[in-house]
Amino acid sequence: MANITKKVSWSSRADESGATGEGTPLLNGSEQPRHSRQIGRLSTVDLEEEMTSDEDSLRGRPKEIPHNEKLLSLKFESLDYDNIENQLFLEEERRMSYMGFRCLEISRWVVCGLIGFLTGLIACFIDIVVEELAGIKYQVVKENIERFTEVGGLSISLILWAVLNSAFVMVGAIIVAFFEPIAAGSGIPQIKCYLNGVKIPRVVRLKTLVVKVCGVICSVVGGLAVGKEGPMIHSGAVVAAGVSQGRSTSLKRDFKIFEYFRRDTEKRDFVSAGAAAGVSAAFGAPVGGVLFSLEEGASFWNQMLTWRIFFASMISTFTLNFFLSIYHNNPGDLSNPGLINFGRFESDSVAYNLYEIPLFIAMGAIGGLLGALFNVLNYWLTIFRIRYVHRPCLQVMEAMLVAAVTATVSFTMIYFSNDCQPLGPEHTEEYPLQLFCADGEYNSMATAFFNTPERSVRSLFHNQPGTYNPLTLGLFTLTYFFLACWTYGLAVSAGVFIPSLLIGAAWGRLCGILLASITSTGSIWADPGKYALIGAAAQLGGIVRMTLSLTVIMVEATGNVTYGLPIMLVLMTAKIVGDYFVEGLYDIHIKLQSVPFLHWEAPATSHWLTAREVMSSPVTCLNRIEKVGTIVDILSNTSTNHNGFPVVMQVTGSDEPAKLCGLILRSQLIVLLKHKVFVELARSRLTQRKLQLKDFRDAYPRFPPIQSIHVSQDERECMMDLTEFMNATPYTVLQETSLPRVFKLFRALGLRHLVVVDDNRVVGLVTRKDLARYHLGKHGLEELQLAQT
Amino acid sequence: MSLYKNSYFLVSLVFHIYAPVSGDGVNLTVSDSADKLKEIRSLSPAAAAAAAISSPVFKPAVDSIFSLNLLSSFPEDLEISDYCSDLLHIFGQRYVAYVNCLVPAARPVKVCQNCFSRYGSLKETYQNISSDQMGPGNVSCKDSLLRSDRLMVVYLLYSNLKELWGKSNCDNCITEDFHSLTNDTLYFMATLNQTLTCFEKYQQGNHTELCKNCKSTYRDLNQLYGSMEKNHTMCIDIEDAMNMTRRLWSKNFNCSFPREETVPVIAVSSFMLFLPIIFYLSSFLHSEQKKRKLIHPKRARSYASLMNIQDKLS
Repeated sequence: MANITKKVSWSSRADESGATGEGTPLLNGSEQPRHSRQIGRLSTVDLEEEMTSDEDSLRGRPKEIPHNEKLLSLKFESLDYDNIENQLFLEEERRMSYMGFRCLEISRWVVCGLIGFLTGLIACFIDIVVEELAGIKYQVVKENIERFTEVGGLSISLILWAVLNSAFVMVGAIIVAFFEPIAAGSGIPQIKCYLNGVKIPRVVRLKTLVVKVCGVICSVVGGLAVGKEGPMIHSGAVVAAGVSQGRSTSLKRDFKIFEYFRRDTEKRDFVSAGAAAGVSAAFGAPVGGVLFSLEEGASFWNQMLTWRIFFASMISTFTLNFFLSIYHNNPGDLSNPGLINFGRFESDSVAYNLYEIPLFIAMGAIGGLLGALFNVLNYWLTIFRIRYVHRPCLQVMEAMLVAAVTATVSFTMIYFSNDCQPLGPEHTEEYPLQLFCADGEYNSMATAFFNTPERSVRSLFHNQPGTYNPLTLGLFTLTYFFLACWTYGLAVSAGVFIPSLLIGAAWGRLCGILLASITSTGSIWADPGKYALIGAAAQLGGIVRMTLSLTVIMVEATGNVTYGLPIMLVLMTAKIVGDYFVEGLYDIHIKLQSVPFLHWEAPATSHWLTAREVMSSPVTCLNRIEKVGTIVDILSNTSTNHNGFPVVMQVTGSDEPAKLCGLILRSQLIVLLKHKVFVELARSRLTQRKLQLKDFRDAYPRFPPIQSIHVSQDERECMMDLTEFMNATPYTVLQETSLPRVFKLFRALGLRHLVVVDDNRVVGLVTRKDLARYHLGKHGLEELQLAQT
Repeated sequence: MSLYKNSYFLVSLVFHIYAPVSGDGVNLTVSDSADKLKEIRSLSPAAAAAAAISSPVFKPAVDSIFSLNLLSSFPEDLEISDYCSDLLHIFGQRYVAYVNCLVPAARPVKVCQNCFSRYGSLKETYQNISSDQMGPGNVSCKDSLLRSDRLMVVYLLYSNLKELWGKSNCDNCITEDFHSLTNDTLYFMATLNQTLTCFEKYQQGNHTELCKNCKSTYRDLNQLYGSMEKNHTMCIDIEDAMNMTRRLWSKNFNCSFPREETVPVIAVSSFMLFLPIIFYLSSFLHSEQKKRKLIHPKRARSYASLMNIQDKLS
């Protein structure tokens, strides 16, 4: 630490900065092995005293601890949402005509339309491919089972099913684990982080999209307990980030359009539109999509943006609709609004009564409890996976095992089920399995297990009362609960929405059946399909803990507004009950990935913390006219991967400490170095083109690393004038500002660096990681630690 | 026949009541006639007779045939023509014939094979009634018989049976001209008979014998049924016959497949379930635990600030 400070023209109290080390962890032997320090009011001072003695020994060798949730990873950075108002920017704005701004506005609409269209197309592609491939798979297995039921040897069918599943999942897991690990899971946590302002590496790349789409097809066809809805949100976001840039860095194609949008501020708006379009395509819920974006990324919001996002959502669901209608051979029939189609609830079967509301609320509480259990189990499993199953080949093996076990469990369930039901007249069962049932009947367990999860959900919602017997449903709920819990977090791209809905629908239907049997007369009011829907909502709410958007999504997916009230009540109860035990699944995964995620508010009991305690200090500052060599050295220092550098100005001829006059980013410095914007060169070559904002945009978003920029020995002696390029008015706070104030400023404006000043002298810098490390734990305010991951 | 008579009476009654009230004949809109009829029916049926007679509107008609018939007839031009009443008569006869056939064919279902010809003739009559073609004397019965009143008895009666016909999918088993059953159906019936004879033959003895001996014919029947199901050439008769046969086969004779392979299935599945345990154990024992390197962030911790905190706390 000290050796870093040497290079810096840091002029404040050197004696203090030398003796810093507040973040030094307390991992000496005498301490308890807990990894996050509780900031107790009384203990603070004591701890400090103890620490000074151990400090030197600790500083030498970095501590290593097993991965846990109370860490912040260094690899995550903030996005630059704040506009960099340097002179170049002002110049460009002056040059731009009124018409130019109008054109920008129009092209924003065009981009949103394109986002919706492409997202809808992708959803359509996934849907059709999954349907075809799953159809082939189930047909093969079904024929095999039918043949072996007759002549014996059903264990061979079991092996065939397991092998087919594993094969599909293997493909999906290999592309995820070896090519793009970020595409694993549903992608909603990652998009949540992105909209929160965290730059997750590689999350919005074309490669990620390809892997995601192929991966989700493989995992759904592979019969895992997963859905294809969550990944649609990620896909939509990637489409948005790609389309809005008008080029693809992966394909090395630049269409020379939408160049103005090549910065984080604009990109973020489009990504929220893409996420909305994804939700909209997945559930046929355009309003739900908009609200999802609102719920997840609401700190940066305005009216026009909402309207544009809604436009993208509508286009997306319409596109999906249109192409699916062509696929289903009735072009123009626009009745397939989403990937999951809950089917229409007939108005008389969905009627609910006032006395049912308490029942619904009770079901919400059950959903909250089950959801909390799901999350806790998944939390332990994920920790185990991060610690021990981190090699890609192990991850592939694990995924294959899960697929094989899923098939095995399903088969065993079907094999031993005695629940036979007569075939319906309309053949709602896609792949009815007879097995040992009488002719003309089918195995009821098979409709739940031997099917894509979406169809199972639909049959649970809509099949006649009496289609499932309670034992079947109970066993199904139990096994599917554990399967889904085990599956989420594998290295395959797959969502958790559908499995949750399926679990909930199963136990909800069970509730409905039991209620109907308790009251001898009331077989009519407790329509099992209705209770299945409520159960599904409760379970989903208990797991993901979304509120507003989920209510609207469910209402839109069922196409029945009268359900709004019960679904809302159920989701509220589920959230309240679930939050009492553990956080939502997505939040758990965000934490486990050590993402510096900023919640809505600062922790409640943090007003006594001031910016002085929060900030990082000392700060690496640059002079307004700085030597190239110094800049290169600072940038190439691997131990301090700083991104923002306050620019200071020494008043000539006085002893006063340097004053803050701006802020410059690493990416800008790199572009400057690449173009060799040195004072000496500018003097010698008068004709040199002046650097424009376009040069910065061309390098965005993948700025070259400093190592790739060659600076000769002579050039190291040159000087660089940063005046033109720095942000001349960075946001600053005083040392005494309380943490919640700093937090609010940071969160609301989407800042990346906040300079802490004392009489216009730089004393520290607050970044996302400084703020995100405080959180309210069981023992009061706790502090997360920074770790290299 | 009684049904026919009643309906005929009703129809004529309705005609008779509203025609003079309306004044300008058959071209009334439905709502109009309904209003008028309501007016009349607001009186209780018994009182209606008396009231109607005394009412000035009904005066011109007093010579009734039936004792109850308060209004014997309307002026010539408002009556339905002889041609139409003949048609109505025929319709009634055929209707009754069809219904008479349907009821005994309800269980086991034979509504298609037994009654298709009667439905054909009924349909023909109805088409005659509802056609726009003018009969002798330039009269069309479509309006007078089908659409003259709110109740539309003829239409309602026919549409009931038509719905029944549609539900039973009989069209799939009957040739277009209602002459005979289709070849597919006949072939299916033949196969079915074969199977049933086989069942009968072995019914007395051990059922395992039956299961063995009739298996081939039963399987053929099943396959035939399956192919017909795919081609959509099935009607309710075939479905019902097949259902009964299947029930006989599975429930009565107990010829379904037994669950015999429990041991191998359990063995294979427990092996599969065992794999993940091995996997997780081995990765727990052999895989190197992932460690995170902690980074010590730079923090300003001046004594002044420490003092500050202490001040705040105390």
